[in-house]
Amino acid sequence: MIDDNQIIPLIRENVEKGFRLLMAKYKEPVYWHIRRLVVSHDDAQDATQDTFLRIFRSFSQYSGEGSFKAWVFRIATNEALRLLGRSQGKAILSLDEIPQVTITMKADEYFDFSNAEAIHLQEAITTLPTKQQLAFNLRYYDDLSYKEIATVTNSTEATVKANYHFAKEKIIKYMNTKNL
Amino acid sequence: MEQNYDFSRIGKQMPYTVPDGFFEKLEENVMNEVKAQSAKKKATIVRMAIRAALAIAACIALFLVVKEVLPLGHDTVTDDFENVELAFNNLSTEDQDYLLEVYQEELILENNLNDLNDLNNEESI
Repeated sequence: MIDDNQIIPLIRENVEKGFRLLMAKYKEPVYWHIRRLVVSHDDAQDATQDTFLRIFRSFSQYSGEGSFKAWVFRIATNEALRLLGRSQGKAILSLDEIPQVTITMKADEYFDFSNAEAIHLQEAITTLPTKQQLAFNLRYYDDLSYKEIATVTNSTEATVKANYHFAKEKIIKYMNTKNL
Repeated sequence: MEQNYDFSRIGKQMPYTVPDGFFEKLEENVMNEVKAQSAKKKATIVRMAIRAALAIAACIALFLVVKEVLPLGHDTVTDDFENVELAFNNLSTEDQDYLLEVYQEELILENNLNDLNDLNNEESI
């Protein structure tokens, strides 16, 4: 497992080597995080590339204090919200809105129809307001702490905990209706 | 809270897939862009350093030219008076007297002209 404390000084010392290490650790988590928000593979690909280029351009702005993982996921989240906002004629999607994804889940070319339970779980997640989706996804899939999620969403730990709790309850309710 | 649904059954499985070799291609695309932007950044820094060095060199050259061609004000005045004084002292006593006489005559003439102008002005009023 690559440690963030290896990545940060290496980027400062040799940007190409450091970035190679960053990509090795974060390319998949960042892509899947964005994909869960935007649903479409093509959109997720674009937003993931934009995320890493933005990390490259703004790396000097990372102070070294606070979680690097949270900083990376914050940039990834902003890129996803920017992309979703653009499709709705806005600069960026608000955290209080429910994302209107540009493509229905099953219309995407890169989709596995065989796993009904996984499909229902993603359906349940995509019906949540953005801040609840973020709290649930970042905790459930990416194992971020409440404090790190608060950094990503620019809120407090208490708010994140409440959003995670509401999200989980709504998902359970939805999954129970599916008689799985 | 309803607790019938068990998350551990599904874990982190998702219905989303990616094309074969997608992540390798994604990494290469990003790295190529990073290398290109990094080279561009370095070139910009070198260009800025060269411009700064040229600007400094131009300032130094301009300063040297100005110093050579246009002697600075205060010292020049002092030097000029010193030169005049030196030249005056080198003259013979007769010449010195002659110059002083001419200078005094000029002063008297200038004073007379001023008086005449004042008189004309009073008459016109």
